[in-house]
Amino acid sequence: MDELLDTLPGGVVSFSDDGSIQYLNGTLARMLGYTAEELRGRHVESLLTVAGRIFYQTHFFPLLRLHGRADEIFLLLRHRDGNDLGALINARRRERDGVMVSDCVLMEVRERRKYEDELLRAKRAAEAAHGVLQVRTREVETANDRLTEQAAELEKQAELLIDQASELEAQSEELQVLNDELIERGEELEKARVIAEEANHAKSQFLANMSHELRTPLNAIGGYVQLLELGIHGPVTDEQRFTLDRITRSQRHLLNLINDLLNLARIEAGRVDYRIERIAVTDLIAGVLPMIEPQMSTARLTLSVACAPDLYALADREKSEQVLINLLTNAVKFTPAGGSVTVEASATTQYALVNVVDSGIGVPVEKLTSIFEPFVQLRERKSEGTGLGLAISRDLARGMGGDLSATSASGAGSVFSFVLPLASPAE
Amino acid sequence: MAVDVLYRNNVIERGRGTQPMLFAHGFGCDQNMWRFITPAFEDEYRIVLFDYVGAGKSDWSAYDAERYSSLEGYARDVLDVLHALDLRDVIFVGHSVSAMVGVLAANEEPERFASLVMIGPSPRYVNDGEVYVGGFERSDIDGLLETMDKNFIGWANFLAPAIMQNADRPELGTELTESFCSTDPVIASSFARATFLADNRDDLARVTVPSLVLQCTDDIIAPIQVGEYVHRALRGSTFELLKATGHCPHLSAPDETVRVIRSYLSRTAPD
Repeated sequence: MDELLDTLPGGVVSFSDDGSIQYLNGTLARMLGYTAEELRGRHVESLLTVAGRIFYQTHFFPLLRLHGRADEIFLLLRHRDGNDLGALINARRRERDGVMVSDCVLMEVRERRKYEDELLRAKRAAEAAHGVLQVRTREVETANDRLTEQAAELEKQAELLIDQASELEAQSEELQVLNDELIERGEELEKARVIAEEANHAKSQFLANMSHELRTPLNAIGGYVQLLELGIHGPVTDEQRFTLDRITRSQRHLLNLINDLLNLARIEAGRVDYRIERIAVTDLIAGVLPMIEPQMSTARLTLSVACAPDLYALADREKSEQVLINLLTNAVKFTPAGGSVTVEASATTQYALVNVVDSGIGVPVEKLTSIFEPFVQLRERKSEGTGLGLAISRDLARGMGGDLSATSASGAGSVFSFVLPLASPAE
Repeated sequence: MAVDVLYRNNVIERGRGTQPMLFAHGFGCDQNMWRFITPAFEDEYRIVLFDYVGAGKSDWSAYDAERYSSLEGYARDVLDVLHALDLRDVIFVGHSVSAMVGVLAANEEPERFASLVMIGPSPRYVNDGEVYVGGFERSDIDGLLETMDKNFIGWANFLAPAIMQNADRPELGTELTESFCSTDPVIASSFARATFLADNRDDLARVTVPSLVLQCTDDIIAPIQVGEYVHRALRGSTFELLKATGHCPHLSAPDETVRVIRSYLSRTAPD
């Protein structure tokens, strides 16, 4: 039997669990450069390279011990000359003669080992490539994570924007509601304004009618007083004449008041007709000066005039004179003796501007607007007049497409600016 | 979510005692290595077996190349198992590389360990010039890695589940339908590097837990001078030279291995 085994092309070795070689065929001995007798009794590890011994202890023997067999294990054997040779080994652990032995059959692998080396090289190259691939994959994953984060951030921002948008929408709706309310209120105000205008118009109408009704008896009173003064009903004593004079003065005052009221009512009722024409502002000023000069000298005021040449306005001459007289009368009234009154006229791009400047007591800032309201006077009861002059004047100025305004510093005089639409100098 | 360590490390408990004996397998196989040893301790101890991640029936999906690139990662597995079962007063039995894994774990949390039983320990496999003899040159380790690669190319049967036809040993039956030593080539290669290129000499001096060094006769992987080095470096260690040869006395001479461990434990056990 042993002879038969020695003729096998493969190696055969049996060893016990402690590794000592029980049997070894001639083929294996020759493969390793020994005789079978030299190797019997030695430790099976001594047939292996160092690496082969480690593998034997860590894998091959535990496999045999636990599984009872091992198939196609590759181990490196050590030749007597120091070279190693690869072998494929099949092994079975079994009981023989009361002892556990492992029977191994092995075959040297030469050509196959070369292919395996190639295969291993290829495998390692593939593993290296796989390593690179893993690094790249990780990079891609990192980039992907970053993108995911950014996407999440964008989503968050989008949500925020959506929130803001819906908030804006809510605000917009609120604004729409407010707007509707405002429109509604505007309409109400418009209605109220129309009603107020209608009421004002009715008031003016009433005033116009009443003034007329009042003037008639007042004129009668004036006429009859004149008749008495003329002595038509008999001689008049000095005492009676004094009394008649008081009646006349009161009648005139009342008449003036009513005339003013009538004028205002007419203007506000839109019942005034304007005869607009091209007038030279110099002529306008020159026309009113004679009417005011006596009062000026009585009040001991200095009057000066400065008018730009070729200044023309589109206006109603008579009503413009009325406005100027009113302004000059006021200036005289509110300027203490020794003061000055100046009339200056110039052109702006669209208007002819006539300023009446005085060095009088001035108008407090808070009253600059209210003095143009009817029945408002700067000083209660001290001055004569109806308190309608400035109101009438401004209405007239506006009726001609111009305006009337005032600037002043209390105690430093006033400037009343009367503007009229500018007319071209050339006819 | 907490890691289910008991599932991840395929933790198996046996025995009827209270003091835990934790068995840590070495490089190459899995907890089945202990099958001839543990029955002897089941009456007196609480036997805890486990597989390192990447070995045996552990959850291979939990394998982390970074963590298991050094023995510290494997020590973490040991501590994870101790924490998962809240084990204290533990007798740690480690084979081969697991002896050093036990050293690392015991240095981390010494209060959990009663003693370290080291079977074929080596703090460094590669020679360090004149200073230290580990038994191997770097080229030997490279040769091992190549041999492993060769066996992992595809025709080594221990990689794939082995369909065993145990005509001669029918009693082993279906238990052997899969290989105890099956492993992933990349994981095995990494474990081999972590094991054979490690240097834990400095960690030995820091051990405060009592220890037993089991040294085999004619152990190529852990030669006797290495075992003696470990014994010298470990304060309060006991050294036992086994008659058993090779690197796996728990497989080749389980009776002697059990006897020596039992004797050590009975001597060191508190009265």
